[in-house]
Amino acid sequence: MDELLQALVQGFFVGSAYGLLALGMGLVYGVSGIVNFAHGDFVSLGMYLCFAFFTAFALDPYVSVVFTVPIMIALGALVYRFLIKPIAGRQLLMVIQLTLGVALLIQNGLMMVFGGQPTRAPSMIESKLFLVGDVVIRGAHLVACVVSFALAILLYVMLQSTDTGRAIRAVQQEPRAAALMGVDVGRVQVMTFAIGVGVLAIAAALLLPGLPIQPTQGLRFTVITLLVFVLGGMTNFVAIMLGGIVIGVAEAIGTIYMTHTLGQLLPYLIFVAIMLFRPQGLVWRS
Amino acid sequence: MLEMQGVTAGYDGVPVLRDVSVNVARGELVGLLGANNAGKSTLINVVSGTVPIMSGRLMFEGEDISKTSAQDRVELGLVQVPEGRLVFPQMSVRENLLLGGYNRKARPARAGNMDHVISLFPRLGERLGQLAGTLSGGEQQMVAIGRGMMAGARVLMLDEPSLGLSPLFVQFIFEIIDKLHAEGMTILLVEQNLSLTVRHADRCYVLERGVVAVEGASAAVAEDPRTRAAYLGM
Ligand SMILES: Nc1ncnc2c1ncn2[C@@H]1O[C@H](COP(=O)(O)OP(=O)(O)OP(=O)(O)O)[C@@H](O)[C@H]1O
Ligand SMILES: [Mg+2]
Repeated sequence: MDELLQALVQGFFVGSAYGLLALGMGLVYGVSGIVNFAHGDFVSLGMYLCFAFFTAFALDPYVSVVFTVPIMIALGALVYRFLIKPIAGRQLLMVIQLTLGVALLIQNGLMMVFGGQPTRAPSMIESKLFLVGDVVIRGAHLVACVVSFALAILLYVMLQSTDTGRAIRAVQQEPRAAALMGVDVGRVQVMTFAIGVGVLAIAAALLLPGLPIQPTQGLRFTVITLLVFVLGGMTNFVAIMLGGIVIGVAEAIGTIYMTHTLGQLLPYLIFVAIMLFRPQGLVWRS
Repeated sequence: MLEMQGVTAGYDGVPVLRDVSVNVARGELVGLLGANNAGKSTLINVVSGTVPIMSGRLMFEGEDISKTSAQDRVELGLVQVPEGRLVFPQMSVRENLLLGGYNRKARPARAGNMDHVISLFPRLGERLGQLAGTLSGGEQQMVAIGRGMMAGARVLMLDEPSLGLSPLFVQFIFEIIDKLHAEGMTILLVEQNLSLTVRHADRCYVLERGVVAVEGASAAVAEDPRTRAAYLGM
């Protein structure tokens, strides 16, 4: 029972960060119709940037986000402007291939700069634990959860009630009319992609404490993000956060209760089961 | 106020409009008529800047705006209410209107423009919170026109606003157009409905396969046998 509670709590906390990963993907998909298969590798890159700031200046990942976020935003803008935009709107397969290419580029770049050995970027709160009843809560997980929800709410409010947010939604819903109302559709697309990647820099720092990193890990994050993204019905904010929690909990339960390999499969099994019965995702309307 | 001078324009290097000259004076209501595929929508998209000009010039208040970006033209007050309305379906009526006032020039005037729109369309005032996608076609047309007014239109270009509406709504939309005209708004009205348009417009142009076939005062255009020919595609 305690173990179950432990798994639920941990899954909830980590899952909220997965939700954040998928929000970034949902934002970009909604505006540009692009599913970015380099998503997880941007997370990876964000982690290695934290690692670089740690080795160079002994900065804690929670501190170095101040630098990694703008770096990743700029990088996202450049990647969209010069790689994705020229072929956006062409065949879906081409765009997928391109983002896969970006993924490989990041992986190999990381390999060249940092080598293939797993490393870690330690954080000050990594070893902080709290005991609530019999449940152990890791400080880093608590931070991840609080920041993820705060960011999700911030993004939501931005989308709902600012001019920029309305412009983003207008481009999602009716790009031609948005352009006729003076919205620079191209700029909105670059901006949302950049924001999406910038969010990943934060998610990277949140997931980093205690996690060994290696250059090829990106795919794992991409796959988790895709699961959550599809589970959440692709553009619905609330459902995406919910999807993150479902996958996070499934992962935690799998790790605690099952043998290693089977446990790692559990999120996918649950995903398949949910998609069989609710192909439209967790919430009715998106 | 708005002057299209010998414009040739089209898609992917293939001209749709050939050597078209159209002008609209301040405060005028000008009708742009023609059969399906005549190039009416293409013409106002050229004015909006979403279809590029191959040759010729587009002048607005004495300035050549042929190279001005689509966004900047909206700021100048050249605003299109597109064919098929194209409201933002998952946004409320209010948000649709607010987005109409997105451009930098229109933002400060939003509150006043919103009051004006609601005074013209009280029905929208009652439905500000409703998602635009759930409105009837006629109500969506009101949203589309209101959205264009919110953008601070100085020339309002309406692309077939009566398309697919019931006769009662068509009547209502034309009353609104008259009202805006009476308030001094400059209007370029694209229509297929000949008899209704000539009754409301000051002057009309008839497009036939990308060229201006007839132009002049509405009554004269209505009488002109070439108008009928253009419609029948003879
Ligand atoms: N985006 C586009 N790409 C290529 N060709 C186009 C495009 N839009 C219109 N055309 C072509 O340009 C010609 C004129 O079309 P346009 O839409 O301007 O006609 P219209 O007079 O508005 O017709 P309707 O009354 O049916 O709206 C047509 O032959 C059409 O096929
Ligand atoms: Mg048309």
